[in-house]
Amino acid sequence: MNPSYNTHPSYNQAPVFSRQTPGCIVLLVDRSDSMGQPWAGAEGLTLAQGAARAINKVLFQLCVKSTKEAGKPLRPYFYIGVYGYGLCPRTGLEGVESALPGALAQRAIVPLPELADSPIDVRSDPSADVMPRRSRMPVWYEPAHGFRTPMCAAMALAGSHVAEWARAFPRSLPPIVINMTDGLVTDSPYQGVDLAGWAARLTSIRTDLGQTVLLNVFLSASPAPITAFPARVRDLPEPAPELFAISSELPETMVRNARAERIELEPGARGFVFNADLAMLVKFLEIGTRYEVRDG
Amino acid sequence: MADGATAVELVAFAVAKAGSADSEWEDCTGYDPGDPRTGRPARLVVVDGATEAYDAIHWAGQLVDSFLAPDGRAPTLDPAGLDAWFGRQQQLWAGAPRAFASVFEEHKFHESGSFATFLGCELRGLGGPDPRWVAAAIGDAVLFQERDGRIVAQFPGLGVEDFGVTPEGVSTQPTQRTRMRSALRTQDGALQVGDHLLLATDALAEWVVRASRDGDARWRELTSIDHPQVFRDLVDRLRGADDVRNDDVTLLRAHVTPAEAGVLVICR
Repeated sequence: MNPSYNTHPSYNQAPVFSRQTPGCIVLLVDRSDSMGQPWAGAEGLTLAQGAARAINKVLFQLCVKSTKEAGKPLRPYFYIGVYGYGLCPRTGLEGVESALPGALAQRAIVPLPELADSPIDVRSDPSADVMPRRSRMPVWYEPAHGFRTPMCAAMALAGSHVAEWARAFPRSLPPIVINMTDGLVTDSPYQGVDLAGWAARLTSIRTDLGQTVLLNVFLSASPAPITAFPARVRDLPEPAPELFAISSELPETMVRNARAERIELEPGARGFVFNADLAMLVKFLEIGTRYEVRDG
Repeated sequence: MADGATAVELVAFAVAKAGSADSEWEDCTGYDPGDPRTGRPARLVVVDGATEAYDAIHWAGQLVDSFLAPDGRAPTLDPAGLDAWFGRQQQLWAGAPRAFASVFEEHKFHESGSFATFLGCELRGLGGPDPRWVAAAIGDAVLFQERDGRIVAQFPGLGVEDFGVTPEGVSTQPTQRTRMRSALRTQDGALQVGDHLLLATDALAEWVVRASRDGDARWRELTSIDHPQVFRDLVDRLRGADDVRNDDVTLLRAHVTPAEAGVLVICR
């Protein structure tokens, strides 16, 4: 093992989730107006629609991973939170809100089996790469876009719920927060604290086993060179330096996941991708969430 | 029974993962005493259902039941026989009536299916003076042959570093048949009165390999444990000391004796 990757020793030593020590995965999704742009190479989808497809896919994969016995409920290996920032469909205003379906939104971070039982819809999925044999895909998250990009407020709200979760599960591996955006933050400073400050507060939340891991992906509507998991940023435009700076160094399991996807990494690689297309977003979410589950 | 005739005493112990119910034990084990009068050899088998696989308990159970089946469904212990048996098991699995409780279950059944490591063993020549064991394995369940306090044979010959990585195994997916053929290993050896065969799933097998390498004599306790609580206490101690990782633990033990065979007891 390369010692350069040992910045999250807890993830390196015991990278599993169990019923007794479940994981917490929180998705922050930009719902600003610019997310309505067509996404080049994404089958006519907008950024918002493509992000929704990727989010539903990763939630589906987590549900499959949590399915063990025939005829039995899913096992609660994961707790899930999904937050949208920009347009809040429930109020029609700009802000941040839980994007979980129905009444689950009131609880912000919920056990995955409850989310699995509460899809908005179950649809035929046209994406052959998502489900080559079975085409029924539950939908938990719907795309939305409007207004600006209150990313600081999103990290503030998510952080408050992540902190509650970490207090409830101190023996678990620390939470993983994944932020998806296509724009520049528009609410920094928020309550007197800039984006770096809110990110630092978020990543300071810890369980007994370590600090919260924050991953960021910047979506590019037009074709552009992709920078994946860099160890440093050189000559990249805004907001790459800012997002890189707030991204955590990749834990060992994510390093392995990235290498399994044939992504070359330098020591000190951060959980940051710049100019992601839809395929890279899907890969990014898989790399950040593919952990072994095991009871005991 | 003629002079020099041999028999076996058998016992199996199992402990589920700490934090899991006994009913969630995903290993499986079993034994057929055979029939020396007709020449049917004894059979032993341990199977370890993969933690993240779909319905691993039933897949492991199917493999054990079929491996021990007395009605001709059991495979011959050679590569061709086992390969054909793997195919039959996959067909049986795929053709069984199922009602899926969710789209997740349906997806997992079709896309990844189930998976288990496998170690099967046949004891030939029981009842005579020259018994032998013949074994086949895919994955990291291990057979140890103990004689006079030493391990005189280990199959497969895994080192400590070979555990903990994704093992090979028997998959429900027909697309994996080629890989399974490549991963299948067979071996045989002679038995003597007094020998123990210890068939262990990976967590315990890893500890035995490490203990015997490091001169830790505690592994020899496995040849004499005679009560499930003693076995459970040993596993608890080993887990508590981080000597054994928290996984399902299964031990099937055969003791070659000059006496009449004992009966199988599975202790949990």
